[in-house]
Amino acid sequence: MSKAKFNTLYIAVGFIPFLMLVFPFFEIANRATPIIFGLPFSFFWVILWIFITFVALVVLYRFDPDQDEEGDV
Amino acid sequence: MPGWQIALVMMILYLVIALFVGIMAGRGRDGSSLDEFAVAGGKLGLFVMWFLMGGAVFSAFSFLGAPGWAYSKGAPALYIITYTAFAILPWYIIGPKIGKIGKKHRLYTVAGFLKGRFNSPALAVIVGLIALFASIQYLATQMSGMAIIFEIMTEGRIPFWLGALLSYGIVVVYVATGGLRAAAWSDVFQGLLMILISWIVGLTIVYQLHGGTTDMFATMARETPEFLQIGKEGSSMGTVAYTTTILVSVIGFLMWPHLFSKSYASSPRTIKKTVLAYPIFALFLVPLLLVGFAAKGIVDSGQLQSADQILPYLITTVMNLPGWLYGLVGAGALAAAMSTADAITHSASLEVTDGVVKSIWKNLSDKTTLLIMRVGVFVIGALAYYITVFGGQGLIALLLGAYGSIVQFAPGVYSALFWRRATTHGVISGLVVGTLVNYYFQLVATSTPFEIHAGILGLISNIVIMVTVSLLTKKQSEEDINRYVDVA
Repeated sequence: MSKAKFNTLYIAVGFIPFLMLVFPFFEIANRATPIIFGLPFSFFWVILWIFITFVALVVLYRFDPDQDEEGDV
Repeated sequence: MPGWQIALVMMILYLVIALFVGIMAGRGRDGSSLDEFAVAGGKLGLFVMWFLMGGAVFSAFSFLGAPGWAYSKGAPALYIITYTAFAILPWYIIGPKIGKIGKKHRLYTVAGFLKGRFNSPALAVIVGLIALFASIQYLATQMSGMAIIFEIMTEGRIPFWLGALLSYGIVVVYVATGGLRAAAWSDVFQGLLMILISWIVGLTIVYQLHGGTTDMFATMARETPEFLQIGKEGSSMGTVAYTTTILVSVIGFLMWPHLFSKSYASSPRTIKKTVLAYPIFALFLVPLLLVGFAAKGIVDSGQLQSADQILPYLITTVMNLPGWLYGLVGAGALAAAMSTADAITHSASLEVTDGVVKSIWKNLSDKTTLLIMRVGVFVIGALAYYITVFGGQGLIALLLGAYGSIVQFAPGVYSALFWRRATTHGVISGLVVGTLVNYYFQLVATSTPFEIHAGILGLISNIVIMVTVSLLTKKQSEEDINRYVDVA
């Protein structure tokens, strides 16, 4: 994967979950019920997307063309 | 032994360990090296870096403000975990690039970074001053956090001025001696402590008061569902205000000098891994929000001076908890405040030295620069202490405005990295106008159009002005542009 392509993909993977957590999309989850894992639905929704982002980025990292570069320039 | 005595002993013990860790971390390193003091030689590892970045967000605000938000506002408090998780993500792309540019040109700061691309001492001075005022405001918040904790936990026996002096004095000592490395290792110790404590205390409180989160939220959802929603009839915050508050925090986060300059302190690989592991830090904030929700309906808000005191108030007054738990909360809150204060004090001194002092006296040796940075730590510490304890009166507005203006660095920073057509005049005029607009809506106007956050209004004008003026002025020399934009 080229670096430019990776960066685009990275931005998309970070951006989509973020959109789900701000309005207008957050309206989907802007409810108190149902209560899941002891949390109101809105609270659960936020944690769910943070978790999805985390997993997606860890997977994406494996495709980073520069993942092994070291700091010395 | 009464609860307050146990708490006092535990907090003093914590302070002694914090001082010890801070001083030991700086030992055995080259004490005369500017690179070591400013960016720990560029060699911090993943473990330390993660805590350094995490400790910086886990501040007095997390221990006092986050439960306060959940208690007084309800669902809008979710903004805190949302922004903590997402604000770090751009660092994956810009961090390694800033780090490489920095290593090539020996940069330590935001001011130096912008000066390097735009060749403008004026820009560096503006950035240095905004950074200084914003940092002092930030420090004053942390310090009053520490002092409040001491005061409440010892039931008023340690006065405000002494609590602030004790805890912040220790920070100043280890930062001035050990530089970034001392701050970093203290953050590891403090980070571990506060994570542990927030979970123990958070869950203890929720279970004692409500027998678990499901019961607590079920009652709330039945009786006051609007408290768990945003932008509904009776909710405390509208949808636009919520969204723009998150946006401004996400964009502004990495512009804070103490976070931005960590790009210079590590390798690209460590930066990337830090970003990946970071969202976990956001989840550590969950129990602290739960505490705030738990207090709703139990504590009458008239009993508090401000919502921020809800956590210590619950522990000392409402619940019958053992003294060691008092002490734990005290130590945890001190750790949170100190791990933020150390990084900020350090970077504020660097920004002023690099942005202001070095723009006026251009040919300082490394040795003199390092000395100025060390002295700067004490001067900034003293200023912040003075403001916290005696109040700034006229200064408060200036500091608050600067605090909100940090996000205005973003257009300039991103342009320096990616936009070839950006010019010096464009960036300076954008920054000045954006800062003024932010000041106006934050401090003068009583409301903003559509409840949009003042920082976003500033950003919009900043970008419009920056682009217009850049396109109207002469393009920079290719050499100046390539030095930054072409770094891969």
